[in-house]
Amino acid sequence: MFDRIRKRDGREAHFDDSKITDAIFRAARAVGGEDRETAMELTLEVLRMLKQRYNGQIFGVEDVQDIVEKILIEKGHAKTAKAYILYRDRRTRLRDAKGELMDVVEEIIKETDRDNANVGNSASAKMLQIASAASRRYYLTRLIDEDYSLAHSRGDIHIHDLDFYATSVNCLEIPLEKLLMDGFNNGHGFIRPPKRPGTATALAAIILQSSQNDMFGGQAFPFFDKQMAPFIDGADEEVVFQAMEALVFNLNSMHSRAGSQVPFSSINLGTDTSEEGRRVTRNFLLGYEAGLGHGENPIFPNVIFRVKKGVSFDPQDPNYDLFQIAVRVASKRLNPTFSFMDSSFNKPYDDQVAYMGCRTRTMDNRRGPAVTTGRGNLSFTTINLPRLGIKAERNMKTFYRLLDDVTELTINQLYHRFQVQCRLKVKDLPFVMGQGLYLGSEGLKPDDSIEPAIVNGTLTVGFIGLAELLVALTGYHHGQSKESQQLGLEIVKYLRKKTDEACERFNLNYTLLATPAEGTCGRYVRLDRKEYGIIPGITNQEYYTNSYHIPVHFPISSFDKISLEGPYHKFCNAGHISYVEFASPPQDNPEAVEAIVRHMAESDMGYGGINYPVDFCCNCSLQGVINEPNCPRCGSADIRRIRRITGYLSTIDRFNDGKVEELKHRLPHN
Amino acid sequence: MKIRVAGIEKESVVDGPGLRFVLFVQGCTRHCTGCHNPDTWDFDGGQEMDTGEILDQFGEGGLIRGITLSGGEPFEQAGACALLAGQIRALGRDIVTYTGYTFEELQDRSSADLDVKRLLEATDILVDGPFIAEERDWDLPFRGSRNQRLILVPESLASGMAVPAGSTTPVNGRVGLGKR
Repeated sequence: MFDRIRKRDGREAHFDDSKITDAIFRAARAVGGEDRETAMELTLEVLRMLKQRYNGQIFGVEDVQDIVEKILIEKGHAKTAKAYILYRDRRTRLRDAKGELMDVVEEIIKETDRDNANVGNSASAKMLQIASAASRRYYLTRLIDEDYSLAHSRGDIHIHDLDFYATSVNCLEIPLEKLLMDGFNNGHGFIRPPKRPGTATALAAIILQSSQNDMFGGQAFPFFDKQMAPFIDGADEEVVFQAMEALVFNLNSMHSRAGSQVPFSSINLGTDTSEEGRRVTRNFLLGYEAGLGHGENPIFPNVIFRVKKGVSFDPQDPNYDLFQIAVRVASKRLNPTFSFMDSSFNKPYDDQVAYMGCRTRTMDNRRGPAVTTGRGNLSFTTINLPRLGIKAERNMKTFYRLLDDVTELTINQLYHRFQVQCRLKVKDLPFVMGQGLYLGSEGLKPDDSIEPAIVNGTLTVGFIGLAELLVALTGYHHGQSKESQQLGLEIVKYLRKKTDEACERFNLNYTLLATPAEGTCGRYVRLDRKEYGIIPGITNQEYYTNSYHIPVHFPISSFDKISLEGPYHKFCNAGHISYVEFASPPQDNPEAVEAIVRHMAESDMGYGGINYPVDFCCNCSLQGVINEPNCPRCGSADIRRIRRITGYLSTIDRFNDGKVEELKHRLPHN
Repeated sequence: MKIRVAGIEKESVVDGPGLRFVLFVQGCTRHCTGCHNPDTWDFDGGQEMDTGEILDQFGEGGLIRGITLSGGEPFEQAGACALLAGQIRALGRDIVTYTGYTFEELQDRSSADLDVKRLLEATDILVDGPFIAEERDWDLPFRGSRNQRLILVPESLASGMAVPAGSTTPVNGRVGLGKR
């Protein structure tokens, strides 16, 4: 009757009706049927309907299958219909997984994609990305409930680090002093306590690397000054400086995160007032300031200077001199960033709060001691706020209903992932759990579940694009109108209430995060644009604004930006940060930096940083802002351009498209 | 008062200590080779504004430590600049003035020209001297060539001689500029 059919890839092929019979017969056999005759009769019905519906026009494979299902059901062959539908669905999943995956592999082999600016383009990097792609598809199609998978694929939520869903947990504040004092074993033998500063910092790098191998997220030393102090006692200043410098070098060159990246390392210091602790802080900052071999700006670690009144903030404080060094270094190195121990939410913990460079903060604990050492985030999932705004069509009731739904979904998905993580055994994280780094892992045996440890971790709901959401709901973002700012605070407070409630329901540490969006910022916009078109102020850029930040392209003074963003920090107990943006490094201008830092403290911020372009001529070591393609001093075109991407630093050539666009739009405050 | 303006930058970190509001005036007779802003030389360029408008833009200042007068040559419109400087000073902020003249040249002109005297006296830090390309030094804070100085004006006027800011010289009560 027909001689052509369109295949799934668009090509036309010869139509063979015996294929329909075979498929029906196979499905019938699967549920106990035997009769090929019936299959042939049903085929005739299918052909009849095809003729009726398509009337001479060409149809596709899916069209035929739709009609087969219809006929099977209408003619009363319910069981066969079910078998047929299930088989079809499995084939679809497999086909999508296989086909798309192989396409993706092909792309990666050409060049790794830039969803993560830290990953290079080496063989290891390519291997990582191929494994990552395969893992993602596996988890989405086989492990994760369809509700969550679909929500993720659609772009309602974003499950971060999906490729590690079943194999690990996120990040950790490492108990460095414990490992150095007691010694440790990372697989090949016992490493005993160091006797010299140089050995101590070398081991610190190894420890960080070993820990990174077990986890997919950031690795940090929460009290580096205090933790290192015992190991520099009595050593010469020069020796201490060299040890710190060596650590900076190491943290910028050991490629061990998933085999191909430098670990995401962070170091917190500043409030130890002991003589040795102060020496650690001073020398580390000076080492960081000196930079790498040619004086280049280090990319890692993130350095977080702890600011606390009475300790490291005011001229009469014992560590004020260290604060001044920190300010000087921050004026040209993009680090340190500053954490504020006196903010309303950090103050109850004295100076015990630590952050990670990305902004993660782990403090409260319903299942153990409220400490930060030995704990971290387990996983986080981010809600697409702008989409909710678009869908709400200016109706606040609708908005809150949609928000409730997606938040509930996210909370449940996080719990699902937690349960999957609980199936991991100590031997699956041999260093982090086996050597007792994680709180609660002491005393566990290799075949024990890691649950007793990870109940101390956090399950985190994140959000992105508050600014675009506010535009969708009111026409203005919170930099433009007081009402929008009020609404913004209300919404974030509401989200925090939801995560607090989840703590009660699940008896786990649910927290709210101002997500440091990297890939997500571009992905959500692409999906929303496809769905809803280009909406001015919302989907017209290539990225969504990070968390509660004022849009980077909006002209606003540093003062106002800090004043507006400050109040949000307290709601985001899983982590928060605010930045100001300068057109050039304030490198001879510590007053400017200090003024900013003080205003951040006054605005009840927990964590803040200063961004500016750092261009470095690899030929003559000139550092500054080089707006031309060539160095103005020596003419070389070999310019290394470093920017903060989203909490950590990288060179521009590694930024993904969304972040490149955002970078272009970042407006310095003038 | 009317003033010819090339541009305004509301928050700069490279035009003097602290965060600063920078006014680039229009018009300069110096014409240094290698000038950063040659568009500012033409006295008919830029746009005319009222000093009141500029003060409005300065607003309450937020984190701004003070105003920087640059350009162009502020001392060619010394009267308007002095007026503005006085008004900003009254808000408790400080004044940095860039000039192609040297402090000594301005001291001389002060005796004959009251506006020049007023602007000089209203200034806290004077960045003086022409830009000389042969003396270019990339590492100098806030200026381009080695002959240019950061002069603490009140101390200089009191002592009769230029007092440059150094690494141990307090600047408005704080240890200030220069190499560490």
